[in-house]
Amino acid sequence: MIEGVRHTGVNEWEVPLGYVPGMRVPGKFFLSESLGNNLEHGAIEQLANVATLPGIIRHSLAMPDIHWGYGFPIGGVAAFSLDEGIISPGGVGFDINCGVRLLTTPLARKDISGRRDLIEELFRAVPTGVGGKSTLRISPPDLERMMIKGANWAVDAGYGVKCDLIRCEDSGYMKKADCHAVSTKAKQRGVPQGGTLGSGNHFLEMQVVSEIFDPEAARAFGLHLGQICCMIHCGSRGLGHQVCTDHLKLLESATKKYHITIPDRQLACAPITSMEGKDYFGAMAASANYAWANRQLITHTVRQVLAKMFRIDYESMPLVYDVAHNVAKIEEHEIDGKRMNICVHRKGATRAFGPNSDELPYDLKKIGQPVIIPGSMGTSSFVLHGTKIAMEKTFGSTCHGAGRIMSRTQAKKSLSGKEITANLLRAGIIVRAHSENAIADEAPEVYKSSDEVVNVVHEAGISRLVARLSPLGVIKG
Amino acid sequence: MSFEEISHTADVKIRARALTLDALFTEAFLALMQIVYGTDRNDGIIKEIRIESDNIESLLCDFLSEVLFIAEVDGLVFSRAEITIEDLHLTAFLSGEPFDPLRHSSGTEVKGISYSGLVIQKNANGYMLDILFDV
Repeated sequence: MIEGVRHTGVNEWEVPLGYVPGMRVPGKFFLSESLGNNLEHGAIEQLANVATLPGIIRHSLAMPDIHWGYGFPIGGVAAFSLDEGIISPGGVGFDINCGVRLLTTPLARKDISGRRDLIEELFRAVPTGVGGKSTLRISPPDLERMMIKGANWAVDAGYGVKCDLIRCEDSGYMKKADCHAVSTKAKQRGVPQGGTLGSGNHFLEMQVVSEIFDPEAARAFGLHLGQICCMIHCGSRGLGHQVCTDHLKLLESATKKYHITIPDRQLACAPITSMEGKDYFGAMAASANYAWANRQLITHTVRQVLAKMFRIDYESMPLVYDVAHNVAKIEEHEIDGKRMNICVHRKGATRAFGPNSDELPYDLKKIGQPVIIPGSMGTSSFVLHGTKIAMEKTFGSTCHGAGRIMSRTQAKKSLSGKEITANLLRAGIIVRAHSENAIADEAPEVYKSSDEVVNVVHEAGISRLVARLSPLGVIKG
Repeated sequence: MSFEEISHTADVKIRARALTLDALFTEAFLALMQIVYGTDRNDGIIKEIRIESDNIESLLCDFLSEVLFIAEVDGLVFSRAEITIEDLHLTAFLSGEPFDPLRHSSGTEVKGISYSGLVIQKNANGYMLDILFDV
């Protein structure tokens, strides 16, 4: 483990005050000893940098998929007081509400195993990769409604069913979206990209439920052994990227205006209550809503393809849940024995609310929030549930994925897209992408083991395992 | 003059060297286009960009962000740039062609230009920069 950090509990480590100058609270991260071998010094420094921001509550936190990012580390979580705290795009990222959803189907493994035609049809139907354009006609007024009502707009427009909405974090839209704080440039980028997957680590994957860890929770989430599911991982596309770019610049001036000292320009921020802070929050919420609508549009396309190909009912494919993993939200938490609203930033981290949370639909209250953790290409993904311990220790947060350990330059040198595709095919997994480079970039070997990452959060109790999903077909963005 | 991709776990980190600041910005621009669209790019269609910023780092981030915006919205892939920088004012003439999915899909989208780890330095041999692209 990196020098200067202290072991404080099962898979828990503390970055003490003074690790970087100006820390207001200690840092805390969740990691096993073996995952610690790949921990980068830069990631811990970024975790400590976040601890210097005004109004931070309790700890600057990181989940076990922690790695070196920009501003916050990836896997970073930090909560700020609404009175004295700040909001920062560096705690959200360029891909606002990058997130993941899991869709169930009535299909079994034998129905789709080896069905290259299904993967080809999904690849044709869902625009992916660089320059992928929407086949939908989204008008500027539609775009405004997407930004205000998120997945609700999509369902109202016929791209889904009502019960999808209660299975989305925040019911598929943040209430304080402000379209006026979204630039014309961002809107221009948003119109042609509704319903597109994007590139990088975004994907659409057909999976089979291959192991159940918690039968009661699995039942409540609508999952059973051998069931075929579809996982969709994407975000707010060019609209969200532009909002981050625009507001980073505005907030850089605000950082100076409000005399806030920051150790990294990417941590530009403003008081949550300031005009600049509110504008960013409104634009970020609008982008988050666009992302929820985007995932809903892709869900609709997937359902249409599956319904046609397998002659199954469109409504027989309910959503398990949809989670955001790059977002800042005002949430109510217990701080020093008092319930209070705080601003929780999650950058590459998943909300993991425990049982009885007001945010959960009635049928999930007993279990806790479903948490969807995508694995790397070719490896297992997992469903977990949120816990009371997460509410106490991490502001109701857990990991968001496996976390990279190998750079893209290393990946391209050591692995060819062709070899990876052939290896995965031998393991019964069909991969489809626009380019071999895209496959090499995201090879399973470049990520930490998703098994090891979820075991850390399971053992630390900040979420608990429900089911394992194994990939059968992958569309790489 | 050159640019290279240096190892970074999550994102793409570029190191570039050039004799002048204008050439340094051109290298960063070429690196960005190569990462997003690959190496098979032609010129022809000209776009002019004018940017002014408070400092040299912001000028670079603002310029590259503007390139990303124009490329995406106008569906253009650029292969060349003529850049002039005077007192934190940048003028660039970009030359490119329409996006062709068959030739321009081997790269990865860049979501944003990061300030983290951004370094622009003048040394005895000219200029160098390190910059991080979020992918």
